[in-house]
Amino acid sequence: MLKLFKLFNNKRLFILLITLVMFIVVMGFSLGTRKSLSWPENFVRDTTGFVQGIFYKPAGYVAGFFEDIANLHKLAEENEQLKIVVAQYTREKAQYNFIQSENERLMKDLKFTESQKEKYNYDYRIAHVESINTEPNNSTLVIDIGSKDGVRPNMAVISTEGLVGVISQVSNFTSTVKLMTMMNANDPNSQSAIAATAIGKENATFGMIESYDPKTNKLTMNKIPPGDPIQPKDQIVSSGIGGLYPRGLTIGTVDSVKVGEFGLTSSAVITPAADFQDWKELIVVYTQERAE
Amino acid sequence: MRVNKSVGILLLFLLFILEGTVLPRLIPNAWQMRVIPNLVFIVILFVTVYHHRHTALILGLSFGMLHDIVFYGRILGAHSFAMGVSAYLIGLIFQTPRAPLPLMMTVVLLGSLLSDTILFGIYSVFNLNQEPYSWAILEYMLPSMLFHFAIGLLLYVPLRRQLEKLKNETRKEETA
Repeated sequence: MLKLFKLFNNKRLFILLITLVMFIVVMGFSLGTRKSLSWPENFVRDTTGFVQGIFYKPAGYVAGFFEDIANLHKLAEENEQLKIVVAQYTREKAQYNFIQSENERLMKDLKFTESQKEKYNYDYRIAHVESINTEPNNSTLVIDIGSKDGVRPNMAVISTEGLVGVISQVSNFTSTVKLMTMMNANDPNSQSAIAATAIGKENATFGMIESYDPKTNKLTMNKIPPGDPIQPKDQIVSSGIGGLYPRGLTIGTVDSVKVGEFGLTSSAVITPAADFQDWKELIVVYTQERAE
Repeated sequence: MRVNKSVGILLLFLLFILEGTVLPRLIPNAWQMRVIPNLVFIVILFVTVYHHRHTALILGLSFGMLHDIVFYGRILGAHSFAMGVSAYLIGLIFQTPRAPLPLMMTVVLLGSLLSDTILFGIYSVFNLNQEPYSWAILEYMLPSMLFHFAIGLLLYVPLRRQLEKLKNETRKEETA
């Protein structure tokens, strides 16, 4: 110890220790959930966000132009597929409208309260990506809408393919998206597990999507009760049970189902629908604010 | 062209912006999760070797904090600590104003590994990552090291020239 004191003189050692303690305090403090940010954080995030927005979009246009040229020959094929999808969509749209109006009539007859009626009525707002951090332990995106546009922490963020993550921090004009790739069942501060179900088996299938494995790039769905009809190639969507996540967000497709670690429930390996790269536009899902 | 201190810091900020916006577009999709560019830190390593380690410490702490706040996902201060401390430690060992190219490139490799390791350590301490260190090294630390090496080679000539000019200027001011 004495040698250490000689190596650093007294003053330097003192400063070193104080900074170390300060850092541990800041890290510990920032680890928990925070409702809002302090003004220096807001200021720094909003100004950098503004400058980043200026750079990100032109870079996207240039990169997108070359990508478009490369994809030119695939266009006819894609067009064909889209036509089929649109035909199916128009057929289902008529069906959907019938069911929707019937549903509303039944809700009225059964005297649903206003908040119960509005529960699954979501608002979708488009957001542009401003910058990207690809680090495995802290993968975040910065998007260009913030608390002034009504964004709140823990809102779900989706891309055109599926769920990508949740809002982690919000400042006035920008917010940070925490990607699903950091989900972890062992970490108490991770994004909370998503209650999920399969398309076509909404009343029969249940499971919790709890973690993402960066080694295999797959999600794990646990707590599937015995006798569940879940099968490989099923489309997994969020079920809205628990109210944390909106209902009906695409999550992925089932790869395989096996018996879970305690032998009571099963767990499924899921390939995420979103590919977590090549970001352009994202959609923030606004849920109705509930009185807490 | 002469760059004084404030313009230098502005350029560093510009580099930070480029790192989050333009670079992910240039890196192929398959490598996006494996190469984690940290251009600001390379410049800070140059500063710590050719200028002074205290300047590098301050720069590392402040630009790390900027990174932490802008990309605030789970924890504040991790980058600030990692960049500041590793820049200071590297400066403590390698600070030589006449360092040749091979030494500087070794410093870039070592510094990149050191800061990634400190970051990994911080995340492990707070129980935020579950992957073993050996996997992390092969998965993203080594590719990032090689990427930083290449960027270091590109930046070597202009950066060293500017830093030496800066040093001469401060010396003149001191004697005058």
